[in-house]
Amino acid sequence: MLGTLAQHGTDTVGDGAAAAGAHVAHAAESIAAATPGAELMLAVPALTLLAAILCGLCAAFRVRSKLPAWLSVGCLGASFVCVLLTYLNLAGEHGAGGIVPRIAHGFEWLTFQWGRGGTGGEGRSFVADFSLYVDSLTCLWMLFVTGLATLIGLYASEYMVGDVKTAGYSRFFAAFNLFVLSMSCLVMADNLVLLYLGWEGVGLCSYLLIGYFYKKPSAVAAAKKAFIMNRIGDLGLSLGLMLTFVHFGTVQFNELWPLIQSYASGATPTPFIVQLIPVLFTVGAFGKSAQIPLYVWLPDAMEGPTPVSALIHAATMVTAGVYLVARFLPIYALSEWALPIVAWGGALTALLAATIGMAQFDIKRIMAYSTVSQLGYMFAGLGVLGSVGAASHVFTHAFFKALLFLACGAVMHGFAGQLDLRKLSGVQKMPGWRIVGLTMLVGCLNLAGFPLITAGFWSKDMILADAFSHPQFRAIGWILLITAGLTAYYTFRVYFRVFMGPKYFEPGDELHAAAHGDDHGEAHDAAGHVTHSAAPHGQHMAAEGALAAKGHAHDHGHADAHGVFHPHPPGWAINLVLTILALATFAAIPLFFIGDHHGWVGDLVHGSSSNPASAAAAHEAAMHGHGPHGGSFLGMDPHAVMYYVSAVVGIIGIGIAFVLHLAGRTTPATSRADALLPALGPIARAAQHKWYVDELYGVLFVTPLRVLSHIFHLIDKLLVDGLVNLFGWLPRGIGSFVRRSQSGVLHDYGLRMASGLAIILLIVLLGVLR
Amino acid sequence: MNLALLIAIPLVFAFAVALSRPAQARLLATIGTLLPVALYIVQALGFPWLRGETDFYNTDAIDLFPSLGVRLSLNADTVSMLLIGLTVLLGPICVIGSYTAVQDRLKTYYGWLLVLQAAMTGVFAARDAVLFFVFFEFTLVPMYILISLYGSTNRKAAATKFFLYTFTGSVIMLAGLAYIAWVSATRTGEWSFDLTTLTVASSEYLSNREQAWVFGALMLGFAVKVPLFPLHTWLPLAHTEAPTAGSVILAGVLLKLGTYGMYKFVLPMCPEAALAYAPLVAVVSIIGILYAGLICWVQTDVKKLVAYSSVSHLGFCVLGLFSMTSIGLTGSLLYMINHGLSTGALFLLIGMMYERYHTRSMKELGGLAARMPVWATFMVFFVMSSVGLPGLNGFVSELYCLLGTFQAGDEWAHHPTRAGLGGPLGPWFAAVAAVGMIVGAMYLLYMVGKVVWGPLVEPHGHGAHAHGHRHSAGAPASAPSDAHAHLPADLTPREIGILLPLAALCIFLGVYPRPVLKALEGPTQQMVESLHMHTRGSLQTPWPVGAPPPPRPAHTAPAATDPHDVPANQHPADEPPAAPASGGAGAGSAQEAGH
Amino acid sequence: MTGFASAMSALTGAATLTLGQSDFPHPMHQVTLAHYLVLSALLFGIGLIGFITRRNLIIMFLCTELMFQAAGLALIAFSRFHLNHTGETFVIFVLTIAAAEAAMALALVVLLFRRRETLDASAWSELRG
Repeated sequence: MLGTLAQHGTDTVGDGAAAAGAHVAHAAESIAAATPGAELMLAVPALTLLAAILCGLCAAFRVRSKLPAWLSVGCLGASFVCVLLTYLNLAGEHGAGGIVPRIAHGFEWLTFQWGRGGTGGEGRSFVADFSLYVDSLTCLWMLFVTGLATLIGLYASEYMVGDVKTAGYSRFFAAFNLFVLSMSCLVMADNLVLLYLGWEGVGLCSYLLIGYFYKKPSAVAAAKKAFIMNRIGDLGLSLGLMLTFVHFGTVQFNELWPLIQSYASGATPTPFIVQLIPVLFTVGAFGKSAQIPLYVWLPDAMEGPTPVSALIHAATMVTAGVYLVARFLPIYALSEWALPIVAWGGALTALLAATIGMAQFDIKRIMAYSTVSQLGYMFAGLGVLGSVGAASHVFTHAFFKALLFLACGAVMHGFAGQLDLRKLSGVQKMPGWRIVGLTMLVGCLNLAGFPLITAGFWSKDMILADAFSHPQFRAIGWILLITAGLTAYYTFRVYFRVFMGPKYFEPGDELHAAAHGDDHGEAHDAAGHVTHSAAPHGQHMAAEGALAAKGHAHDHGHADAHGVFHPHPPGWAINLVLTILALATFAAIPLFFIGDHHGWVGDLVHGSSSNPASAAAAHEAAMHGHGPHGGSFLGMDPHAVMYYVSAVVGIIGIGIAFVLHLAGRTTPATSRADALLPALGPIARAAQHKWYVDELYGVLFVTPLRVLSHIFHLIDKLLVDGLVNLFGWLPRGIGSFVRRSQSGVLHDYGLRMASGLAIILLIVLLGVLR
Repeated sequence: MNLALLIAIPLVFAFAVALSRPAQARLLATIGTLLPVALYIVQALGFPWLRGETDFYNTDAIDLFPSLGVRLSLNADTVSMLLIGLTVLLGPICVIGSYTAVQDRLKTYYGWLLVLQAAMTGVFAARDAVLFFVFFEFTLVPMYILISLYGSTNRKAAATKFFLYTFTGSVIMLAGLAYIAWVSATRTGEWSFDLTTLTVASSEYLSNREQAWVFGALMLGFAVKVPLFPLHTWLPLAHTEAPTAGSVILAGVLLKLGTYGMYKFVLPMCPEAALAYAPLVAVVSIIGILYAGLICWVQTDVKKLVAYSSVSHLGFCVLGLFSMTSIGLTGSLLYMINHGLSTGALFLLIGMMYERYHTRSMKELGGLAARMPVWATFMVFFVMSSVGLPGLNGFVSELYCLLGTFQAGDEWAHHPTRAGLGGPLGPWFAAVAAVGMIVGAMYLLYMVGKVVWGPLVEPHGHGAHAHGHRHSAGAPASAPSDAHAHLPADLTPREIGILLPLAALCIFLGVYPRPVLKALEGPTQQMVESLHMHTRGSLQTPWPVGAPPPPRPAHTAPAATDPHDVPANQHPADEPPAAPASGGAGAGSAQEAGH
Repeated sequence: MTGFASAMSALTGAATLTLGQSDFPHPMHQVTLAHYLVLSALLFGIGLIGFITRRNLIIMFLCTELMFQAAGLALIAFSRFHLNHTGETFVIFVLTIAAAEAAMALALVVLLFRRRETLDASAWSELRG
């Protein structure tokens, strides 16, 4: 195995180089790297960097106002305009909505040249500049990234208002802008190294923002977990990067595509190494997008402020993995195993996360698991070569999931950090909560895939239909269909319990206020942490905990003189953002009915350099003609029948949720679903404990590694350093033995001198005698 | 002339400090380290090293012992200039960083600091092996004094171990150098310790067996200094006990003497042996990366954690060197600079924390972000630089080291006689070493999570507003109990001032490393070419590594007809020498195929 | 060196006690070099044995003086034997130095006595390893 890999490494370089020569002309005409028109995109990283620096300066100069928020929203809005202008300017020149790929050159970054005229053969170079690669896929991602970032920035300006008096506000927005900067590098990179920069950069910002409430141990642990889990994925990506360079001799996209295409005909067998690259990329994608086995960080990431959860951990960053696979679909298509891995990983994650989501009580965590689950859908879609469906779902999901999170965040904000669905009920009927309730309903309908009137329905439907149209992936289709039902159930479980039913609330434990006030007393903090760490996920929240929390409510200013808590309905910024997002999900529906390839998103995907049609052809060649053909759903054409099937499944899910969680419910904490618990017993408990996956990882990886580290530490102290000390002790031991001859008594020295003299004399005399 | 000035200025000021009153020592030391910075900047900007030219700054050499050919010759190429730059930069940072940390015996402290500065500059500038060795050893004396007088509780033992350990290694290295000089003298009839002469003599006159031994001797000396995996135990001890400035210089510059020595001596002087034993060195480095990284993860002393992380990080550096490719060498040279910047800064930050709390134990400290937000910001920044976050300096060098290792086989595939064997290293080395990236994130974030984030934990009686400073036995002897009463909770402008240039360089080298990369293209290319020229592949690797020989029809044919290769085939490679100890001590038992 | 060799042979009694290169002037016609050397050796031996066996610092010091003088005697004898002044010159130096040394040594002995109120050499063993 070892030898094989290395051998391929050296063996195939020649091929790659030859292919490069053959396809240079092709690349020149199809890529048109020199075409101008995308330079405006350079303004996006520039603007976000500017905003990040300004926010940093605000922190340094102790600005205690909403200035950082307005700076950020301004810069983000301007960058959205830049992206939009670029897109409108270029759209349609390559296929329906496509853009001729072009490169906006920034500056030389990690470029290195060697081998000029030496013994190393031809001159070689490693070119990884700060340059942006703009095609329609890039535009799709950038549009929703910058658009959502602007909206969520606006939302956060109000949501984070409790921190205006501390440095936290500036810190939040600095990291927020840094995130958009990294994300734009990731999405617009023209080479793998810049993509990797963005990839790790978003990981860093995610780390900083999850750990925003840095006094909470659980937040710190979650941030660390997220970063390290992501690093495991990054290892895969970086190895894929190096393998790509070693094999193809370049990491620049516009040079890579023709090289990859050269294998697509199927005339030459695809080398092992080329099949390995997408597998390594998949590791990276699964890490970033929280798929099995690296998904466990995402639910914990909900420790961050809700706008962060909405932007980073629902809408944008977690779709980076989907972007990576979509971008590299041509090379995925060459591999026999990469696509099935992606498909199965996605489908299993979708199902697993949905089952966990059904059993949770913390509404933010339910949303987190639904994100994991929906990401699984996207990967499954990619894995069955339905990248249009996947990209569509990314697009719609970004809006409705952000909407859901922001609505949950509004509830959390208003009820002093309360997230337990057993302690909130009928929120929609309370004064000032109407918009939140309605927009939440829109989000839930989208997530549940309510037929016809929701964008989520159309995009999910495409993935299901794609899965059923491949006979070998029919099992995946069934898994996804079951998951669709589960999704509808747990989504409306949240909605029916929190927003409908009798009016009731208990305030949360004020973590929100306690944890990020930098100037609060330590004792107060400690109390907050104890409460929190005793009930890390909220579902065990005991009544006395809530009562104790009431005592802290005065900090937040929502309690009157008698200590009675009043919920705090959202202000104009939050309501405005929620309304815009809700409208956007409706506005997205017509986009499915324009264009040539299943809607606007389809056009963008088809018009990019990662055209799924040619990828499908390449995959068929790679699979030696065993490509996807003639799949059916129970004997019917999946694309025709799936609308009805998924509509029925979604409505059944919603109906079950209605029966179990709304109909006849009189108390907030109980519902008819509790009656089912004895029957499900251990299964429900296991699902509630996330199938004990965290514990399993602890036993399998963390503990052994910790033990190993301790063993190494001991070895280092005793064996490695012990040997060194042994060498130190050796002369010392000899010395301690020899030192005894030094008695310090004058006579001893005299006697020894005399005897020495005598011995010398004796030797001399003997010598003379002889 | 300029190089001589760079060495002379600190020395002159050291004498001035010795003659001055203690109150003036601080000022004199500051001037004595800032002047070289100014001089360096003026000179570095005016010289053509950014264009990749290799030799300049020629200094008139002075014959010291003409009969032995020992000359006082100084010269700097691009690589030396970069490392001298690092040395010169860290000088004033250490001096200014010690203003409050060191309160008594000021003359001794600053005097020796200046001497150390001169000696380190001298090491990188020396072009004569004896002169190099003198400077190399003379760094030990000031460091010994700094640790043993100004360190923590266990300082005497640490200083002694540091001195004896590194000294032992370098004496063996001297034996290797002397042997080369002797061979050269017997061949040419004239004694010379000039580096160029020695390099030529070693790479051309030594037999394979001799080269293997010399390789072992030189590597032993430099590997202790780096330090490579089994020879590293002096480092955590020395770092933990040293005063802050000592740790900064130790991590920033002194460790680089080892890797610089490998670059300047081992690779050009023993190319054949280096090629054959590169896998061995690489394995040792990789073990070091992972082993030291995991050890970091269970430390409770912050400083010890960072000290062990140096062992882990420099494993990447050595790996890049022994990939023997342009890109790997460049990565490795950059790694030396970057590690000096980010780890040096981490030690400074830990020193600042220690000045305030008199403890470095993670059990007694936590959540300091609440008390020292500026400090925490810098801490997270430099940790990210150390983790290798793209956009900061650490990433560039780490990626290049790994990339060089990854494609070493590919690069060496063009070698006329080694073609069939693949390169010294290959993808698997890089893949395993890359796991170090995860481990690095694990332990550094573990540290950050404990010390920077989390609920605020301060040592007892150490509220920032209650000035009841703890006078524990662990407090350094040099720190009077009331010395820190005036330090505010967060960093002072002076402290921010010494961190900012480091941070700026970290960003610059991460965002726009192109000038430095371009400057290194020439020298590394030259090095690789000379390595290719001076290796015949006749010294066999102790075990089969990388690609198995057969499937290179285009290249194996000429290789088989090469006269040097025939004996090699007669002595198959699967007859390994008796398990070579670390640093290739068993190198002599390798087969001497070509002779 | 020839002188030394012949002296050695004289000591062993293997060679006849000739007068060497020069005629040894009377009146001590029968007293040969060997007599002087034997006397010198005896003196040296007495001094040595005294140094080793006695514990009184002053006696020990006197014994070292005795050994000195033994050496001086041998030098004088050789000087006479070879008819040159080398040995005598040496002896004059030795005497001078011995005098200076005696002054210092006795002063030291006095100091030591003041410290411990004893002249026993075994009272001083600070140099024990």
